[in-house]
Amino acid sequence: MVAVTRPRLRFSRGNSIKLSARAAHQCLINSGVKPWDLGLLINTGIYRHRNIGEPAIAALIQEIISAKRANKVNSHNYNNTFSFDLNNGGCGIMTGIEIIHGSLNNSEISYGMVVAGDSEPFPGLSKNFNINSAAAALILSKSNDSRGFCLFRTYSFPEYSGEFISRTVYSIKRRNNRGKNILNIRQQESYPDFCVDCAAKSLSDFLNESGKTLNEIDLIIPSQSPPGFTKRLKTRLDMYDNFIEISQTGNKVFYTAGLAFAIKKVWDDDRFRNSKNIIFLTIGSGINVSLALYRN
Amino acid sequence: MPVKRLTTSELLNKIKTPCINKFGLLTGIRERKVCSSGEDSFSLAVDAAKDCLSFSRYRADELDMIINCSITKYKDGLSHLYEPAFSTLIKKAIGAGKAITFDISNACAGMLTGVYLAEKYIRQGIIKNCMIVSGEYISNICDHAMKNIKTSLSSELSSLTLGDCGAAVIIERINDENNGLIVSGFTTFSRYSNLCTGRQNRNSPGGRMKTNAKQIHDAAIYESVSIVKNALKKSNLSFKEIAWLIPHQTSRSSIISGANHYLGYFGEKPGQIAITLKETGNTASTTHFLALYRYLNERRFSENDNIMLLCFASGLIIGAVIFKMNKMVYRYGNIN
Repeated sequence: MVAVTRPRLRFSRGNSIKLSARAAHQCLINSGVKPWDLGLLINTGIYRHRNIGEPAIAALIQEIISAKRANKVNSHNYNNTFSFDLNNGGCGIMTGIEIIHGSLNNSEISYGMVVAGDSEPFPGLSKNFNINSAAAALILSKSNDSRGFCLFRTYSFPEYSGEFISRTVYSIKRRNNRGKNILNIRQQESYPDFCVDCAAKSLSDFLNESGKTLNEIDLIIPSQSPPGFTKRLKTRLDMYDNFIEISQTGNKVFYTAGLAFAIKKVWDDDRFRNSKNIIFLTIGSGINVSLALYRN
Repeated sequence: MPVKRLTTSELLNKIKTPCINKFGLLTGIRERKVCSSGEDSFSLAVDAAKDCLSFSRYRADELDMIINCSITKYKDGLSHLYEPAFSTLIKKAIGAGKAITFDISNACAGMLTGVYLAEKYIRQGIIKNCMIVSGEYISNICDHAMKNIKTSLSSELSSLTLGDCGAAVIIERINDENNGLIVSGFTTFSRYSNLCTGRQNRNSPGGRMKTNAKQIHDAAIYESVSIVKNALKKSNLSFKEIAWLIPHQTSRSSIISGANHYLGYFGEKPGQIAITLKETGNTASTTHFLALYRYLNERRFSENDNIMLLCFASGLIIGAVIFKMNKMVYRYGNIN
């Protein structure tokens, strides 16, 4: 089950924690899962409200959605909700899914949730922040048949780690001698091209490992960033209808939640259920490429 | 660990209102190590990773996974790095070409959360070994606290316990089920999530932290009993069979108070309780592994000792990891 959210007011800059909690809450309602049944809650958003370092944003989301299984069911039950944040750029959501998949397979948990949400940490204090305020949540459970995720792989290309860097820089204004921590995102012009190259190479290796050919893949659900990535990759792969791309809003992109927005699109129009072999492809700074094969 | 020392008396002298005379006595912290120019979370993490490899039988290019768990992600001074992930840069810095990487952030429970995840990956057969690494340049929080502490009830008082440190550990697959990691389990008691919060400053470099120390201590002690009890049950051990209990290092008085509470509840106590605060303070996510490293070098552990790592972190996260000390004790020679 997947749910996505955007700020209610069109021009609102949003708050990543509230947006993520709203998506998580909506996902619980849609799936009928009770908050205290979640065994794992993993937040994979990068750009967090006020750049909160602790507690983990996942703990704050857990509190908002009242996933207080420890308090509601049996405080002496060891199997309560455990939540933490995972940062792996645009691949975080896939790493989170892989971790939950492992815990479901081992029957350690019945349900797990991955949340991804971004917003400008301090509104107005950033340069080149072209990311939509958006959040998404996915709930995963164990299937009783062979349907579901069956292969995960991550490929990394550390030689391109300098292509995308985002960091805060403390700068002092001469006018009033006051300083501010400014979030500065620096993306090289060549970054999208390298992303396409890395994604195409990784996909080829992944298909070899999975024993499938591109013709056998019914859907590819990719990351929706960096800008221009999806367009260039689908041209490279010569896949059009089955390559999911969500429409951009101005010059802004959907970042860590982008994959979930694309899943939501095919979930709602039933293409997800009607596709036999689905590949999830995420890409993030580093450059890391994470892929997963889902069988229906 | 940085070389530069900052004593508690030096720290207290910088506070304009001298209201906390007994701070050193209560916390048991005489000094902490703090970063100098050229040192930051990243450099500490990389140095720890290299040092860890020197004690292990692995080369960097043999590592299957690297998980970075730092709360602070400062690189090149107090510049917070969002992306790429620290683990990606650590991988590049140490030459761990084939390692899968990602960062996690779970306050002071970070490194033990890393162990929890690495164990899952190893048990599933996805990887054979994993390095969990963290670099904490967290002493900068003291600077903000020193400007704001006016009374002994200040919510920023706990910030003065913090010190800087890097730590790294490699865990690997073994074939002997009776040795190694016996149990790891964690719970987030999110109703206490507002009791300790830290974030980056808007108008000055570094961060700030606010803690309701009394409430979070009481909640941690109360809630941890069930976690410890279940961890012991899962591992078929009694509390007295734990040779060493290594709790999160916050302050001497809170560790002793917690130990007394467990003694009252369980009617028995572990062999020894590690307190390593005196020269290093609270080093956030690295405290357990700093204590392990130090005691290994001091040859305090014996082979087959049952060791419990108990973490308390803002969130409120409580977790226990129990493992049996193996032949690793023989790889550590002396404290130098």
